[in-house]
Amino acid sequence: MTAPQIGAARFIGQRVPRKEDGRLLTGRGTFVDDIVLPGMLHVAFVRSPIARGRIALIDTSVARDMPGVHAILTAKDLSRFKIDMLTFYLTLPGIEIPPLATDRVAYVGDPVVMVIAQDRYLAEDAAGLVAIDYEEEDPVVTIDDAKTGPLVHPGSESNAAAVLGVEEDEDLEALLASAPHLVTGTITHQRVSQSPMETRGVVVDQQGDEELTVYIACQSPHLVARYLSQAFGMPNISIRVLAKDVGGSFGLKVQPWREEMAVIAAGMILRRPLKWTEDRLENLTAANQAREQEITLRIAFDADGKLLASHADYDLNNGAYPHGPDCNIAVQMFMWAAYKMPAFGFYTKGWYTNTVGLAAYRGPWAMESLARETMLDIAARQIGVDPIEIRRRNLITKADQPCTTSLGIQLEDITPAECLDKLLETLDVPAFRAEQAAARKQGRYLGLGIATYIEPTASTGSIGVMSGELAQIRIEPTGKVTATLSTHSQGHGTQTTMAQVIADQLGVPYEDVSVFEGDSSRGGFGPGAAGSRQGVAGGGASMKAAKLLLDKVKRVAAHLLNANPDDVRLENGVVYVAGAEEMTRSLREIAEVAYGEPDRLPPDIQAGLETQYRYTPPPVTFTSAANACIVEIDAETGFVAIKRWISSEDCGVVINPAVVEGQIAGGLAQAIGSVLLEEVSFDARGNPTAVTYKDYMLPAISDVPDFEHVHASTPSKSEGGFRGVGEGGCIIGPPTLVNAIADALSPFGARCLDLPLTPSKILELIEGRTILRKASGHGAGPQAAAVDRPTAVTASEPDATPIGEAAEPQAAPPLEPAPATAVDGLWKMVLSTPMGPQAMKGRFATNGQILTGTLYSDMGDQDFEGIVAGATLKWDLKVEKPVSLTLKYDVQIEGDKLSGKVKMGFFGNAKLTGERL
Amino acid sequence: MKPAPFDYIAPETIDEVCERLAEAGGGATVLAGGQTLMPLLALRMSQPFILVDINRIAALKGAARADGGTRIGPVMRQNEVIADPTLANALPLLLTATRHVGHHQTRNRGTIGGSIALGEPAAELPAAAVALGASVEARSTRGVRRIAAEALYFGPYATALEPDELVTAIHFPDWPPDTINLFREVARRPGDFALVGLIGALTVEQGRIARAGLAWFGMGPTPIKARQAEAALLGQSIAGLDARGIAELAIADTAPFDDHHATADYRRTVGRRIFARALQEALDARQAA
Repeated sequence: MTAPQIGAARFIGQRVPRKEDGRLLTGRGTFVDDIVLPGMLHVAFVRSPIARGRIALIDTSVARDMPGVHAILTAKDLSRFKIDMLTFYLTLPGIEIPPLATDRVAYVGDPVVMVIAQDRYLAEDAAGLVAIDYEEEDPVVTIDDAKTGPLVHPGSESNAAAVLGVEEDEDLEALLASAPHLVTGTITHQRVSQSPMETRGVVVDQQGDEELTVYIACQSPHLVARYLSQAFGMPNISIRVLAKDVGGSFGLKVQPWREEMAVIAAGMILRRPLKWTEDRLENLTAANQAREQEITLRIAFDADGKLLASHADYDLNNGAYPHGPDCNIAVQMFMWAAYKMPAFGFYTKGWYTNTVGLAAYRGPWAMESLARETMLDIAARQIGVDPIEIRRRNLITKADQPCTTSLGIQLEDITPAECLDKLLETLDVPAFRAEQAAARKQGRYLGLGIATYIEPTASTGSIGVMSGELAQIRIEPTGKVTATLSTHSQGHGTQTTMAQVIADQLGVPYEDVSVFEGDSSRGGFGPGAAGSRQGVAGGGASMKAAKLLLDKVKRVAAHLLNANPDDVRLENGVVYVAGAEEMTRSLREIAEVAYGEPDRLPPDIQAGLETQYRYTPPPVTFTSAANACIVEIDAETGFVAIKRWISSEDCGVVINPAVVEGQIAGGLAQAIGSVLLEEVSFDARGNPTAVTYKDYMLPAISDVPDFEHVHASTPSKSEGGFRGVGEGGCIIGPPTLVNAIADALSPFGARCLDLPLTPSKILELIEGRTILRKASGHGAGPQAAAVDRPTAVTASEPDATPIGEAAEPQAAPPLEPAPATAVDGLWKMVLSTPMGPQAMKGRFATNGQILTGTLYSDMGDQDFEGIVAGATLKWDLKVEKPVSLTLKYDVQIEGDKLSGKVKMGFFGNAKLTGERL
Repeated sequence: MKPAPFDYIAPETIDEVCERLAEAGGGATVLAGGQTLMPLLALRMSQPFILVDINRIAALKGAARADGGTRIGPVMRQNEVIADPTLANALPLLLTATRHVGHHQTRNRGTIGGSIALGEPAAELPAAAVALGASVEARSTRGVRRIAAEALYFGPYATALEPDELVTAIHFPDWPPDTINLFREVARRPGDFALVGLIGALTVEQGRIARAGLAWFGMGPTPIKARQAEAALLGQSIAGLDARGIAELAIADTAPFDDHHATADYRRTVGRRIFARALQEALDARQAA
C-alpha cells in the first residue's frame, strides 16, 4: 500500500462503505414507528368516503363508549388552536386548510375525525363505529372539471390556484406562424403516488407547558420545528423535532401536513404521547400526490432545424389542499434553459380539484424535460434530422457561455452537450441503427431514446426558507471528530458523504469522523433534503468548517511544538512537523491540551477544538446530463423491455460515486414507474381506483435494468466543486424512456405522449386504433396525441411494414347459442331477510355462460357478474351494510317466475322469490 | 390496516376443523398460507369471527398417487409443488403454472389448496385445475363430496364450497407422458396476476387429438374453460390444424372486462394471439418430433 499523498483527496471520490448501512441493513434503524413512549396512545382517522360535500352530522357516541377508546376529536376540538397550515415557503396558502375537515369535505380520504385509543387496532375498530352523514355534491375531479365546475373552495373567485403568463402573444404567434417548421403536441403526465418505503408518521410528546417534542418522518427537523412554531404561533414553547432515520421522502415530507398537525394538536390537548403511523392504504389515498399535468408545446424551427420560438400552454391539477397552491412556474423557467431558444412564451395554470393535494416530488418541474425532449424527437422526425443532431444544433455548449436565457437565467458552466459527447463515447449509435433495421425485418421492434437536460440544484438565497447549511465540527479530547450538521438523510447517506469531506479536509481517518443530524436541538437551521442541495450546501459547509478547524489545530500544535504553523500538517490523525520527526504527536495529545490545559495555548486562542461555518453557496448550481436507453417492444402484446440504459451526468466533483449512482438509479427507477406502470386515477365520483400495491404498480427489481454510469465531473463554482444530484434521474428518465419507445414504434407513425404507456396503450398505438382505450372520467386529453399523428413517415424510417395480425377480426361475438331459458330482462323480487322482507328489482343480461346484471334496492344500485347454467343463475354481491358481507345468490327460473335462496354469511340463508316485469 | 378482532384456533384434526366450521355457521375463515387472506384481513375486507388455522394438520399436506391420478393435500406449499418429484412426473403443466404464482417468497407460504379454493379469476392454479380436469374433495360434518373444478367457480372469489366445507384434497387425473402442454401468461410485472393467461393440455393418438383441456385466466369472472375450442379440437388431425380458427373459438367463450390494468379488448386481442401462437408452436414441435 502506498502512503497517502499529502493534500490529495483520499476520501472524496471514493466508494467508501456507508456509515448508515450497518444499522439500516440489520434492521436497527430508528424510524418514527420505532419510537415507543410510556403511556403512548394511538391515532386512527375517520376519512371522507366522498369527494365533495357537506358534513351534516357526526355521531361519535357509540365509538366513544368502546373500551380502550380515550378520546374522539373533530375539527371543533382542535379549534382551541389557531393553526396556520403553511406552504413549504412558510407562507400562507391563500385558502383555508383545516387539519381536520370542518363543515365540508374536499376529497375522498379527507380526515374528518380522530380516534385516540389504547392501540391502533382498537382505534380502527372504533373508527368504524363513528357515523358521519354527508350531503354529497358532484365533485370537481379533472382539470377540465376545474375550469367549468363549481368552486372547490367556496368563497374563492375561481378554481385557478395560480395563473401566470399569456395565452397568446402577438409577436410570438407571428414568429411561430411564419417558421419553416412548426411542431405541436400535447403531453400528459398522470398523477403518481409518493411511495416512500416509510410512510408518513408522527409521535408527539408534550413534556410541560413549554416543552414539545415531536418525532416525525421529515426532510429537515429544523424546518419542521420552524414550521410548527410559526403554524401554531407558539414562540414561547421550546420545540424539539427529531428524525433519526427516514425511509424516503421525495417531497412528501418537506413539511408536516394535515394529519401530522392534527396529531400534534391532539397531543397538546390530551397531554399524552400520541402516535400516528400512516398505513399504506392511507398513503395511497390520502398522502399528498404528485404530477398530473398536461402541456401543449409548440416549437418553431428554421429550415436547418434550429430553434426559433416556442410556446407552452400548461395545466396542473393541484388537488384540494396542495403543499403549494401554485402553477409550477419552474416548468417554464427551465423549459428551454439549456437550449439556444430566442423567444419563448407560456401560459401556466394550477387548478384546485376535489382530489388529494399535490406535493413536490423529486424534480417537481420535470414536466419541462418530458415535454421538450419528447417533442424534440418528434420534431427531428418531422424535419428529417437525426435526434442527436437536432440537440447538437441547439444545445448551449461551454463555448456559448456565459450567457443569459430568454427568461433571464444566467449560465456559466452547464455541460449538457459535453455530457452527450461523453455518452456517445460509450454508445455505438450506427451499430445500433443497423441492429434495429435488421430486427425490424424480423418483426422485432428496437428503439433508442436520448435526452439531455440541465437541473438547478442547491438554490439558495432567493427564497427565504432555502438558506445555506451549517456545519459544526469538533475534535473531541479523544482526538476523534464529531460533526453536527443541518443536513438530513432520507437514505441519501449524508453521514457518509459529509464524513468523507471532513476527513479529507482535516486529515483524519474516515472511521474517526462521526456525523450527527436529525435533531432540531442540535446544530442550526437548514432546509435539509430539498432541491438537491445537501452535497453542495452541506458539503461546502463541511469543507469550510473543517478548514477553519485545521487552521486552529496547526496554530495550537505549532505553539506547543515550537514550530511554524506552516510546517505543521495533519495526516491520518497524526500531527507532523516538517523536518522534525521527533515532534510527531497524535491528534489526541494535541486535543487533550487544547481542552484540559488552556494555559499552554497561545493567548489569543479559545480553549477546545471546535468550530462552525454556515455556508451559502451561489444562488444556483447547475447539473447537466445526457441519457440513452434502448428498448425492445413486443408488438403482439405491447410490452416494453429495457435492454440498456446509460446515464452520463455532470454533478461536478463526485464525493462518493456509489452514493451518486444510487441517487441517479433511484430517480431513474421512479421514472420507469411513471412511464410504464404507476397511475393514480379517479372515477367520475372522485374515488381513487388504485388503493393497494396490487393496482398501484411500482417498478419492481425485475423492471429496472442495471444502469451504466458515466461521470463528466466539471467542478462547480461552489466550495468543493460539488453539484446536486438528488433529482436528476427522475427528471431525465421519463423523456429518455418515452423517446426509446417512440423510436421503436416509429414504423407505425405513432406518438406516445400520454403516460403511463401501458401495454394496452402501446398496442393501440401500434395498431392505430383507439378502441382499446377505456373512456374514463380522468384524462380528457389523451386522444390529442392520436389526432395530430404526423401525416408522413420520413425517409429515415425505412420499414413501415404493418405487423402480421392487423387484419384479424375484432372481438367476435360468442358462438354459443343463448340459453334456452329466457333470463334477460327486468325482474321484481322479494328477499325475506331476518330484518323483514326487502323488495328489489333486478336487470339480467346473459352472454353465453356469463351473467351480468344490476340490482336496484333501497341500498342503492349494485352491478354484479355471475354464471348461467340452464335455468340456474348464480352470482355474488358484496354489501357493506349493516356489516361487510358477501351475498351468494342461487336462483332458478321457471317461465316468468323465479325462486331461490341467498346465502348471507353468518346471517344464514334467505328466500328469494320474484317475477318478470 | 389492522384486522378487526377475531378468534383463532389451530385444530390438530380434520374432524375438529369441520366441527368448528359447522358451529361457526359461515362466520369462520380457513387460514392456509395466508398470502391473500392476511392482506384482506388487514384491509378489513374480510372480517371473520374466527380464523381456523389448518397448518398443523399433517393429513392435509403432501402429494401421493391415488385413484389413477394424483391426490394433493391442500396445505402443500406452492414451492413444495414445484420441487415435488411425483408431481414433476405426473403433472408437469401444474408445475409450470405454479412457478408463475406470485413470487418465490409468497410461494414459500402460499398453498395450492388456498389458491384453488379462493377462486381468484386471474390466478394460475384455479385455471390449471379446470384445464386438467381436477376435482376438489370437500369435507364437512355432513359428509364428503367431490366437486369438479369446472363446476367450482361462480364468480370472483365465489365458489360452490359451502361455508362449513373444508377442501381436504385436490385430485388431478393422469395425462399421458406425451401430452402437449400449453402455458402462456401476460402480466404487467413478473409475479402479478395475469392480464390474460392460457393453460391447456392436449393428447394426441395416431395423429389426432384424443383429449383436450383448455382454460383461460384473467379473462372473465372465473377461470374459463374453452369448451368450444376443446370440442373443435377433439378428433382433429394435428397436421394442418387451423390454430387461429381454434383461437377464435377459444376467445368466444371468454368474458374479459376493463380494469385499471388493461381493457377487455386488449385481453381478447392478446389472448387470441397467445393462444394461436402457443397452439401452433406446440403442434409444429410435435410434428417435427
